[in-house]
Amino acid sequence: MTPIRPVPGPRDPQVGSLGAAAPRGAGCGSGPAAIQTSGLSKRYRAVSALTDCTITVPEGRITALIGPNGAGKTTLLRLFAGLAAPTAGELTVNGTAPRQDPAFLADIGFLAQEIPLYRRLSAADHIEAGAHLNPRWDGASVRERLTALHVPLDRAVGKLSGGQRAQVALALILAKEPRLLLLDEPVAALDPLARRNFLATLADAVAASGLTVVMSSHLVADLERVCDHIIMLASSRVQLCGDIEELLAEHQILVGPRKDITAIQRSHAVVQVTRTPRQVTLLVRGKGPVADPAFQASDVSLEELVLAYMGQDAPPALARLTTVGDGQ
Amino acid sequence: MTWLVWRQHRAQFYVGAAVLAALAVLLLVTGLQMASQWHSDLVACTATHSCHDQGGLFLGNRAIGFLVIMTLGAPVLVGLFWGAPLVAAELETGTSQFVWMQSVTRARWLAVKAGWMLLAAAVWGGIISALVTWWSGPNNALYLNGFNPGRFDIMGIVPVAYSVFAMALGIAAGALLHRTLPAMAVTLAGFIAARAVIALYLRPHYMTAVTAFYKLTGGGYTPPGSYWQLAQGVVGPNGQVLPQPNGAYADGVPMSYLPHSCAPLNGGATKVPPSCAQALAHFRGFITYQPADRYWTFQGIETGIFVALAAALIAITAVVLLRRDA
Repeated sequence: MTPIRPVPGPRDPQVGSLGAAAPRGAGCGSGPAAIQTSGLSKRYRAVSALTDCTITVPEGRITALIGPNGAGKTTLLRLFAGLAAPTAGELTVNGTAPRQDPAFLADIGFLAQEIPLYRRLSAADHIEAGAHLNPRWDGASVRERLTALHVPLDRAVGKLSGGQRAQVALALILAKEPRLLLLDEPVAALDPLARRNFLATLADAVAASGLTVVMSSHLVADLERVCDHIIMLASSRVQLCGDIEELLAEHQILVGPRKDITAIQRSHAVVQVTRTPRQVTLLVRGKGPVADPAFQASDVSLEELVLAYMGQDAPPALARLTTVGDGQ
Repeated sequence: MTWLVWRQHRAQFYVGAAVLAALAVLLLVTGLQMASQWHSDLVACTATHSCHDQGGLFLGNRAIGFLVIMTLGAPVLVGLFWGAPLVAAELETGTSQFVWMQSVTRARWLAVKAGWMLLAAAVWGGIISALVTWWSGPNNALYLNGFNPGRFDIMGIVPVAYSVFAMALGIAAGALLHRTLPAMAVTLAGFIAARAVIALYLRPHYMTAVTAFYKLTGGGYTPPGSYWQLAQGVVGPNGQVLPQPNGAYADGVPMSYLPHSCAPLNGGATKVPPSCAQALAHFRGFITYQPADRYWTFQGIETGIFVALAAALIAITAVVLLRRDA
């Protein structure tokens, strides 16, 4: 099997025309937005960590932030949280630009990848600290949640297992009762069981309070079960952004005999071409029927979709995904 | 925020308090002994009219005396062990990302944390200085050396300012370097450098020094009280300060400037030959010093300098923490 070869889809005028259904810069979500960015960029000296990022994070939903290591996921989350300032572009979080203000901070829960907690303090100490540092604080729920998970409250956090620490950190962030939860690779360090517990806790909390979550990972499989919106970053740019179901509905896989694919390229935006000696597999955007009966269409999985777009070097002009004629 | 500061630093507080308590016990016990000895010796020497000769009086335990001198280094300890890790350790372990994502602005976080720490440093310096100043009372009265470098620095109010400065330096170094160990190294080096430069080059010039001239044959001149001597020497017939070469001196004047008739003086003779007396009359001794009554002015100026430096360092810390990405 020859290696996956990206086709010059992004520059393809057909993709452009498809993307032109919505003006570039309108974001990629529908309904009320918890976060809206426009041309957001962040440079660290000579290195560009995030380039021209225009996205929307829908309110009250769980958004997966997917991308390979170093794609800019952490940078984006830190910009959302106000821990870093953008070099260029605009950013609105919970209706305001991130700022050093108790009211803004009270609405944000941010969990850094390293799960930073005071190693020598116990979970109980952290709960007490949170009560002193936040206007809203539901300490009782943390105790309840951690007791149910058999996490010792009075042991120094540094002596807990990685999974327990992550649970403590998540419980503490939920106790703050934020409107927006930003989680940077929350499950990366966890074993499968701890991972399931963590995501279950999170899903319960979201269901109960309707908060917005943005959660990053370099693996789709980690987040697929709980997320309904996706933002994909690669090489510091947004490659894919939108509602997961809509995205899956807009793409299909075509398998056919190996031959010229220009006819398909005329009616569909080809995202990825995989060739074997006997056949060619295309991941295309656009659900319309294929004229060539030699090609068989099938549904695409989220993982396949993400991998296809991850292979892209340049951004495929997917600022917003709209079904053609959906009237928006 | 105060609760968290206390929870994070209470162990350090207990250690600091224990050190201070031990020092207090040591100095109080030996200090009381010394004060009573000083008192009884004074009574005794007054009775025998020998109080002018108390130079050989043995005061206090040598080890304790050494410990008291060592309190020169006490201020930097708070900078090293409390100041340097204050911000650096949080940045190093990432806990800043925990605390900065609570509903507390970074400005308030720094203000409360640094505020309590600077206060703790001031208390630390103040208690040590109070003990040392009290303990050194008889010693100062006996040797009149309280204004001298090394003793000026461990008494009065300057140790408070040194401690506050060391703390601020530690905090700023940590905020700039993001790592505890390098911050400690910078704190130590910076503290020593600042103290040395100011004590050696700035302090003598806080006020214009007083210079007194005296006849060499008149038995010299000693300013009153605990003055701080900056220079002493001999000026020649034209008022020029004489270099002090190696070799023989007669009444403080190098022999090379004097006629041979003065040679017996160098040999220990008390009777000055007339020709020599004539020659000596052209020379005068001088002493340049800061008078004893300027002691508290100097303490105030030095305190002001170090408090201002501390304020500047805290301002730098604030700018770095608030402007830069977290």
